[in-house]
Amino acid sequence: MQVAELEVHNKSGLHARPAATFVKTAAGFRSSVSVENLTRGAAAANAKSLLAVLGCGVEMGHRIRVSAEGEDEEAAIAALRTLAEGGFGEAVAG
Amino acid sequence: MEACVPETAEPLVGIVVASHSAKIAEGVVELAGQMAGSEVRLIAAGGAIDGSLGTDAGRIAEAIGQADAGVGVVVLADLGSAVMAAKLALDMVPPETAARTRLSGGPLVEGAVVAAVQASIGDDVAAVVAAAEEAATMPKDVG
Repeated sequence: MQVAELEVHNKSGLHARPAATFVKTAAGFRSSVSVENLTRGAAAANAKSLLAVLGCGVEMGHRIRVSAEGEDEEAAIAALRTLAEGGFGEAVAG
Repeated sequence: MEACVPETAEPLVGIVVASHSAKIAEGVVELAGQMAGSEVRLIAAGGAIDGSLGTDAGRIAEAIGQADAGVGVVVLADLGSAVMAAKLALDMVPPETAARTRLSGGPLVEGAVVAAVQASIGDDVAAVVAAAEEAATMPKDVG
């Protein structure tokens, strides 16, 4: 299993389009992928379900833990890390 | 050639938005398309045939046909009579299309957005309709 802890920098957090972008990216890998909001301390959620990701209530400044398990787990985590660093396609607040 | 319907390597579940208002149906399709990307067949079926407020089973049937890439369609409807029109529409499409079409009782806007995103990642029709229904519980942090 590959795990990364990431900070969410973009204004909407994991809502609306950033959440959809996150789900679509996670779904591009065969590995099972989960996301956990470390700031809120909620349970890990399926990263390939938009509703599950929205339910994490991830806001700007929150830290998340992304875990992937499967044949392409390293690539999945690398892609999600890149996505988070780029603000999930949304402008990153200064 | 259907220039407005994107071709993808893997067929995806399509979505029909049936509303009494053409503007609502088009707006929901626009929003869900922004969230899900252009690969999903999202078809608006809004308004009566003369453009007034209302629903038309024939229009919904046509939309189901356009939305179906061979792996199923989820139809979201706004009010009770739109659901009735959608049920009538199922009798107007080929039986194999009707067999893989599901009507969702989920909320129109949230359901369409969630369904479109799940469809875009290749979820099957059962998973897409389940997500649309579950969208009624979508968190909005209203406090």
